[in-house]
Amino acid sequence: MEIIISNSSGVPIYEQIKEQIKAKIVSNELKSGELLPSIRTLAKDLRCSVITTKNAYEELVRDGYVITIPSKGFYVAEVNLDVAREEQLNKIENLLDTAVTLAKTNNIEKKTITEILDILYEEEK
Amino acid sequence: MENILEVKNLSKKYPEFELKDVSFELPKGMIMGFIGENGAGKTTTIKSILNIIGNYKGEVKVFGLDNKKNEREIKEDIGVVLDDMFFPEILLPKDINNIMKDVYKNWDSDLYFKYLMDFNLPKDKQIKTYSKGMRKKLEIATSLSHHPKLLILDEPTSGLDPIARNEVIDIFRDFIQNEECGVLLSSHITSDLEHIADYITFINDGEIILSKTKDELIEQYGIVKCTESEFNKIDKQDYIKYKKTKYECELLVENKNEFKKKYNINTIDKISLEDLMVLMVKGEK
Amino acid sequence: MLGLIKKDFLMLKGNFKTWLILLFVYIVMAFQETTNLSFLLPFMCVVTMLSTFSYDSYNKWDAYVCSLPDGRKNSVRAKYIATLLLIFVTLLITTILTVIIDYYRTNAVNLESIVESIFGAIFATTLLQSIMYPAIYKYGVEKARIAIFIAVFGFALIGGVLSKYIDFESIIQGLAFLENYIMMIIPVIIVVMLYISYKIAETVYKRKEY
Repeated sequence: MEIIISNSSGVPIYEQIKEQIKAKIVSNELKSGELLPSIRTLAKDLRCSVITTKNAYEELVRDGYVITIPSKGFYVAEVNLDVAREEQLNKIENLLDTAVTLAKTNNIEKKTITEILDILYEEEK
Repeated sequence: MENILEVKNLSKKYPEFELKDVSFELPKGMIMGFIGENGAGKTTTIKSILNIIGNYKGEVKVFGLDNKKNEREIKEDIGVVLDDMFFPEILLPKDINNIMKDVYKNWDSDLYFKYLMDFNLPKDKQIKTYSKGMRKKLEIATSLSHHPKLLILDEPTSGLDPIARNEVIDIFRDFIQNEECGVLLSSHITSDLEHIADYITFINDGEIILSKTKDELIEQYGIVKCTESEFNKIDKQDYIKYKKTKYECELLVENKNEFKKKYNINTIDKISLEDLMVLMVKGEK
Repeated sequence: MLGLIKKDFLMLKGNFKTWLILLFVYIVMAFQETTNLSFLLPFMCVVTMLSTFSYDSYNKWDAYVCSLPDGRKNSVRAKYIATLLLIFVTLLITTILTVIIDYYRTNAVNLESIVESIFGAIFATTLLQSIMYPAIYKYGVEKARIAIFIAVFGFALIGGVLSKYIDFESIIQGLAFLENYIMMIIPVIIVVMLYISYKIAETVYKRKEY
């Protein structure tokens, strides 16, 4: 499992871990029922505090992506992928909403925005 | 969560220095970074925990036991690296094995020699011939070879180059994989702690000024950078310390998000332990 | 405690060659029958033991040992026991050698003089130990040497002044009858002396702050 942590991004590390594991679950890279590394192993490998990994896992449990079995560990939960996808789409919509608002207040045309979007999409590949 | 180490109201007076009411707790399975300037009281605190310095006021509990009443029992399970204190340097590393196997019940010779091999330390050369970095590694190997549960380390990385420092830090990380264990690690090399510590305890002029999880510290604290006119509008209670330079004012704030909501200042930097230390010690109120 | 005693012995390992040379000198001297030198080796032991104190303090061993289980409790005791063991062993070696050489030279063994010299050697070495060790724990090696020098000098001075007023010779003559019991008195003095010295050293050590 690959997790890439940036120390300078400004996003708290536990959130980076949470989001990346979430993304792997949504994309089905991590399958339901799979055992995740323990809090301590993950902290050791990522060179961060156990409190950080613990926080990330706790939030994943709270959001229903991961289940915890006491004295055994953390497992990927049975996630309804549609619901998860819906959630991600929601997030994208919110972000785009901010972008559109910003564009409107600055009198920027829709065409320009879609152009930017196209460029960004190409870059990602 | 159970505490592996508890320090309560530790006080000790010297003619020119005073330890004032030092209290902190280290939960099991955690690494605590103990930071502060040289002479702030780190070593005095550590020596009191280990009962090397007697007659202090206050209480120290290790593994839930009193450090004076159960001294022998406790020390069997503590591994220690002290700044500049060790075996006489005319001894050889293999002598240390010979001595320690009669000092600790759980001394593990195989483990000790394995550490020596891993660290590239010759066992047949007088400690005198070792470089400073090698000596530190030898001290660390010695502190780990009786399977301790609590490591108390005073400046274990000082004198080591960055690569050796990383090696050593990785050893502590391995050590903490056992959640019954704990580490108290004093250092003024704050970048080491940023990577490894779960808790940060900060001592200044004999007083603990904060003891928190590192995540809380790094995520909540911030450095606000603003102009002098902006600075003048800010309530005194909304920042901890400030520092003025020719071009800007730097403010240490306890909760950067709340600060952002209250004031319209956008340059709020993430804090590093080093910034924190410098502003706490050198900043004004 | 065994570990700490071992530590002092291991520290002396480097002096082994010097001791072999001394032993050789001793054997040569013993054949010459010039003077009885059986105190030589044990005395050197105490002197080299004193050097271990400098190494201890140089690397702050006294503080480090306090972090070990029972370190504070046993550190002083281990030093005393290690020294006594060393005196005992070297004395045993020189005594055996003396007996052999005596027998080789004269075909007889002068038991009385051997016993006398053993007592003498033990007394001299333990006296040195008893005086020096507490002083070292209190003042450190360098200052202790000076302190002892001043103390001895002071004693001599006081004795010199007092001798003008007190007739020492008659006192010594009065005590002459003790000579018959000397073999019993000396061991008692040695034990008492060591005990008092040890207690003082331990108290000093426990009160010390590192």
